[in-house]
Amino acid sequence: MSKLRLKITKGEELRFISHLDYVRAITRAVRRAKLPAAYSEGFNPHMKVAFASALAVGVTSDAEYMDLDMEEQIEPSEVIARLNAVLPPGIQVREAGYVDERAAALMAVVDQTDYQIMIPVTGAFSVADAQMSLTRFAEMEKVVYVRHSPKGKRFIDLKQYIAHPLEMENTPQTVQLSLSIKMTSGGSVKPSEILDVLVSDFGFPVQSQTALIHRTALWAAADGKQVSPLALEQP
Amino acid sequence: MINRYPDILRQVLKPARYTGNELNSVIKDPSQVKVNFALAMPDVYEVGMSNLGLKILYEALNRQPDIAAERVYAPWVDMEAAMRERKIPLFALESSRPIKELDLLGFTLQYELSYTNILNMLDLSGIPLLTSDRDLSHPFVVAGGPCAYNPEPMAEFLDFLILGEAEETIVEVSQAVAAWKEAGRPDGRQGLLKMAALIPSVYVPSFYRVTYKTDGTVQQVTPTCPEASPVIYKRIIEDLDQVAFPTKPVLPYLEIVHDRIMLELFRGCTRGCRFCQAGIIYRPVRERRLETLLKQAQELVDHTGYNEMSLVSLSSADYSRLRELVSALSERYKDQHVSVSLPSLRIDSFCIQLAQELQKVRKSGLTFAPEAGTQRLRDVINKGVTEQNLEDAVGAAFRAGWSAVKLYFMIGLPTETDEDIQGIAELAYSVKKLYMQITGRRDIKITISVASFVPKPHTPFQWYGQISLAEMERRQKLLRSSIRDRSITLNWHDAPVSMIEGVFSRGDRRLGNVILTAWRNGAKFDGWSEHYKHDVWEQAFREVGLDPAFYASRNRELNEVLPWDHLSAGEDKDFLIREYHCALSAECTPDCRRGSCSACGVCPTLGTKIVDWGNAEHE
Repeated sequence: MSKLRLKITKGEELRFISHLDYVRAITRAVRRAKLPAAYSEGFNPHMKVAFASALAVGVTSDAEYMDLDMEEQIEPSEVIARLNAVLPPGIQVREAGYVDERAAALMAVVDQTDYQIMIPVTGAFSVADAQMSLTRFAEMEKVVYVRHSPKGKRFIDLKQYIAHPLEMENTPQTVQLSLSIKMTSGGSVKPSEILDVLVSDFGFPVQSQTALIHRTALWAAADGKQVSPLALEQP
Repeated sequence: MINRYPDILRQVLKPARYTGNELNSVIKDPSQVKVNFALAMPDVYEVGMSNLGLKILYEALNRQPDIAAERVYAPWVDMEAAMRERKIPLFALESSRPIKELDLLGFTLQYELSYTNILNMLDLSGIPLLTSDRDLSHPFVVAGGPCAYNPEPMAEFLDFLILGEAEETIVEVSQAVAAWKEAGRPDGRQGLLKMAALIPSVYVPSFYRVTYKTDGTVQQVTPTCPEASPVIYKRIIEDLDQVAFPTKPVLPYLEIVHDRIMLELFRGCTRGCRFCQAGIIYRPVRERRLETLLKQAQELVDHTGYNEMSLVSLSSADYSRLRELVSALSERYKDQHVSVSLPSLRIDSFCIQLAQELQKVRKSGLTFAPEAGTQRLRDVINKGVTEQNLEDAVGAAFRAGWSAVKLYFMIGLPTETDEDIQGIAELAYSVKKLYMQITGRRDIKITISVASFVPKPHTPFQWYGQISLAEMERRQKLLRSSIRDRSITLNWHDAPVSMIEGVFSRGDRRLGNVILTAWRNGAKFDGWSEHYKHDVWEQAFREVGLDPAFYASRNRELNEVLPWDHLSAGEDKDFLIREYHCALSAECTPDCRRGSCSACGVCPTLGTKIVDWGNAEHE
C-alpha cells in the first residue's frame, strides 16, 4: 500500500457544492481513471481517501490536499494526467507525490490556511474608512464572534486564529482582502466569520453577502517553517 | 448564475441545485443550434435528475447537432422567494438563459400532484399560463409521461403532448419547430401546432372540443380541424437495441434520489395487475439483448464512476436472461467495487437466490409487494401471488440471513371488505411466526406500507369509484387496531392526498380552473407532505363549483364517454371491460408474455410484438 498526496483545485464552477459532494466527485473520477485505489474492508467498501480540511460551501480553492491510498505505485505524473483527463470542469490536480505510508494524517499536520476575499464595491466605498476599520481590528486584543449552531451558541475569540495582519488591495470595482488563519486542534474560524465581524462590528464598508472567498494556500509546519503538505515526509 | 448571485446562492439550501456545470452536461454553441429545448421536471433537482425518461430524451435531442436540450427543475421554495424578490426569471441549467427565450419547454408528467408546480414554473419563467394567452415570443409548452394518457385537467396550459415513448417523436417535433422558424413562422403558433398534430402520437388539446351532458359527464370530444385525428395512439420503440441510450448521463454533484447507474433491461410488463397503469401503457414487453446490456453497463461504469448499478424495469426479475446478466455483471465488476442491485423483487425463491448473490454480505432488507391481504382480493387485482409464494420467498430470505422485510399493500381496492384489511395484519403476523420458526429468534423487523388505491385511466379499474376520504380513514384505523406488535411498523399515505390524486387522474378539462385557483391560493409542491395544503384544494373546488367526489368516488357506467377515450395506449376498451368483469368474479388472467395472449389489443393496434430473449433457463 502507498499513500499518494495530491494538491487539487476547486474552481468557480463548483463554488457552491459541499465538501461531501466535492469528495464524491473526486472518488468517482478516481474510478473513471481506473487507478488502483485501495478500499476499506467490510460490508460496504469505500475508497480510502482523507482530506486536510473541509472547505465551506461557497468557497473556491487553489490548494486542497488529499491523501489517496493506492494498491500499487503509479508515477505521480501519470496519475495527474489520468485524473485530469476525467475530472469535471473546475477540479484539476496540480501536484502529486508519495508520502510515507505511516505519515501523520493531513488533518493533523496542516496548521494554517490563506484566503483571498473579493468583494464588489458599492457606491459608498471609501478606502480610508476601510483602512481605519482594518487598523481598529488589528489593534484589538480580543474580538469575540458568536457562532450559532444547532447545538447552541459558542463565543469564539477570532484574534487568536489570525496568523498575519489582514491586507487590503482595491480597484475601482473590487476590494480584496488577504488573510491567514491558524488551524489548531481546538478548531479554527471561517474567513466568512472574520468578514462578518469586520462589517458588523468594525464598519468595514462592504456587503459581506456578495463576497467571493478563495483559498490560496494550506500550510503545514516543519522545523519551525511553513511548508506545503506535499513537502512533508517524503518516503 | 454562480457569480451573478453569490449572495442568493449562499442563503439557499443546496445551492448546487441551481449551478449546473456537472460532468457530461452538454453545452452547445448557440450559433450552431436551430432549436432550443428545455427538459423540465416539475419537482426539485434531486427528483428530476433521477428520472430515466428525461435522461433518455436529453440524449436523444443532444445527439442532433442542431438541437440543444437543457435542463430545468422546480426551484425549492427558498430559491423561488429569492428569485421573485429579485425578479430573476427561471433559467436553464446549462446556459443560464431564461427559459422564456427557448423554443420548447417540455414537462414530464409523472404524478398529478406536480401540476401546480408546472403552473408555478411557467409563472416564474414569465410564460402565460393559458395556451390562448401565448404569442410568438413564448416557447411551446409540451408534456409527456404517464399522466399524458389523461392530461385533460392540464389541457388549457399545455400546447401539445406526446403519448408514449418519445425519443423519436421529440426529435421530429423539434425538427418541425426548426422548419417552421426557418419558413418565417407561417400562421403563427397555430401553424406549428397543425404541423405537430400531423406527427403520430402528438396530441394538441386545443384542437378538440369537449361537450358535457347535463349530468356532468362528457358527451363528446370532437376534433375541430382536419389535422387532429379522432384518436391519438402512443408510439413505442420496437427495437430497444437500436435506440440511443444515455451511457454518458449528466453526473450530479448533489446526492440525488436514484444516485446510481440505471441499466434499463426492458420496457413493458405483461403480468396484468388490474390496478396498474404502467402495466397497460408500456405494453408490449420489449427486452434488450444481453450483449447490448453488457456493453451499455461497461460504458456507464466508464463514464460515471458510480459504484452502484441498478437493473431497472417495471419488473426486472422477469428479464428472460437475468441469471446470466447478473453473473456476468457481478463477475466483471466485483474487483471494481461496483455493486449490482435489483430494485423490484418478484415474490418467489428464485429472486431470493439472486438477491443473495447480489448482496453477498449486507442483508439490509427485502421489499415485497403482495398488494392485498387475502387470496380473494389478490385474485381480484390479478396479482398472481399466493400465500405459499410469499411464505416460500420470505422463508428463503430468512434462511439466507435477512431479518428485515418491507411489505407493500393498498387499501380501498375494488370489492375490499374488512376481512381483507384484517388479512394484511394476519399476513404480517404469519411472516413473523415464520421467522421465529426458522431462526428461533424474535429480532425481526416488518415494515408495512399502505397506500390508498387510486383508480387510473386505461386500466380495468378506470370505472371504479374510489372510496371516500372518511372510508379511507376508517379502514386505516381498522388496520392500525389489528396490529399490536412492536416488531411491526405501519406506514401510511395521507388519505387526502390520495383523494386529490384520484380526482385529477380521471379528471376532465373543467378541473383546469381548480388547479389554477389552488395554485393562486398558494398550492405548490403538493407531493411534499410538508407543503400539501388540503384546505386550499377544498377551497378551490368550492370557488370553481366542482365536486371532487364526482371525479374521485363516482362509479362510471361502462358506456360512459371517458375524458381520455380519444387517447390510446393501444389497448382495446373491450379488453379492459373483460378484465373488469373478471376482477369482480376474482378470476385470474395469465401473463401474456409466455402464456396465452389475452387479446389486450396493443400488439395488433400498434403493429408490433413482444420481444423476449428467453431461453427458459431459470423457469
